Amino acid sequence: MASTKEIKRRIKSTKSTKKITKAMELVAASKMKKAISQTLASRLYSTYSWDILTSLSERLENITHKFFTENTNTNKHLIVLITSNRGLCGGYNSQIIKKAIAMIKEESKSAEPISIDIVTVGKKGDGAMRRTGQNIVASFLEMPENVSLQDVIPISNYFADEFKKENYNRIYIAYTDFVSALSQKPVIRKLLPISKVELKEVVELNIKEKAPDSRASMDGARHDFAKSETPYLLEGETEKLLDTLAEKLVRMQIYQMFLESSASEQSSRMVAMKNANEAAEEMINDLTLVFNKARQSNITKEISEISAGMASVS
Amino acid sequence: MSTKQLQLKIVTPEKLILEELVDQVTVPTTEGEITILPDHIPLIASLASGDIVAFKDGEHIPMEVVGGFVETKKENDMTSVIILADFAEHVANISEAEIAKAKAKAEELRKQAENNEIVDFEHFESELERSLNRIKIADKWRTRKYRK
Repeated sequence: MASTKEIKRRIKSTKSTKKITKAMELVAASKMKKAISQTLASRLYSTYSWDILTSLSERLENITHKFFTENTNTNKHLIVLITSNRGLCGGYNSQIIKKAIAMIKEESKSAEPISIDIVTVGKKGDGAMRRTGQNIVASFLEMPENVSLQDVIPISNYFADEFKKENYNRIYIAYTDFVSALSQKPVIRKLLPISKVELKEVVELNIKEKAPDSRASMDGARHDFAKSETPYLLEGETEKLLDTLAEKLVRMQIYQMFLESSASEQSSRMVAMKNANEAAEEMINDLTLVFNKARQSNITKEISEISAGMASVS
Repeated sequence: MSTKQLQLKIVTPEKLILEELVDQVTVPTTEGEITILPDHIPLIASLASGDIVAFKDGEHIPMEVVGGFVETKKENDMTSVIILADFAEHVANISEAEIAKAKAKAEELRKQAENNEIVDFEHFESELERSLNRIKIADKWRTRKYRK
């Protein structure tokens, strides 16, 4: 049996680890709340911008804008992988990395091999992709924890430029969808070209899933409006308007995905830390029991030694 | 003054900035400044950076805005103006200290511009535009009366 001193030391170190994990859990919980409220706040904007896009596209018979059509000149794909900068967040990073690698493998197996370039966001994903020897064209490693729209601008402009230059056929984005505090889903979604159907799905999914009641009234109003097909007066050139709108939409989408990812990261960190906390608690209990037993046996030993000594004296 | 009013909503990706019934609103579009009154025909235009001025009960409500869209539509006899801005802020929120900060920032950014090694150009560009716009709008409204 280990000495009581040894056990005491272990209890002490477990306790201090528990303090750290507890603090991390609390921090993650508050950060998660913030990220979720940010996601909710951004939803109104995306709904309205979708609204405008719909009314605009009604006027144009076929959209020939670059963002809406696939480039036929190239068959290169670009995958954007959003991961965290820090570890200790359960399976958050490994899940999305696994999913991205699976997709890359699948694409390379197909009849016409497609070359895939990678853009990484976050140190964890960057490291993993470098280890597996993928072609990384850009890494954004300095993302702050609470993303603002401004932080997303350089990234979204980079994609828009690359896509406009016809360097890529499609741009995918791999992020972690925040379903609830306990479950997050790694998802790979097509970012460009914008397909109207898919974009609509994204926007509607957001509305339905995450804010069932608050948006209901607004939804009704929108439907009526769509039916009436109001002819819009467009200030300026339609093409130009569409161009800016498309760019904003892409930016918005990326922004939302960042928010989703950061909410997922924080919540999976929270859960991981909660588990660590519970494990530490259990360990402390076990160790305390062992310590008490050791103490008890020490005392027994001492008493028997004393009484043996007394017996020999008398 | 007519009793008709219009519903003004200013939305940024970060939050809903303003939602109010107003008499009229002036917005800076890329084609020039326009004033929208109730019963305006449906309109879509893109915004330039500048100030949105809503007019209510004889008082101005100025908002600083950078980039975005304006959409006007009619719903159940109510004209609604939706402004989707990249950034928006009530002029009253731009305090003196903030102006000084914005000025310093603009200056710093300008210096950085001379440094050719700026990688983060896009970010920097929008920051600069925003800082300059804040200064301009704050200066413009400094001496005038408006409602907070």
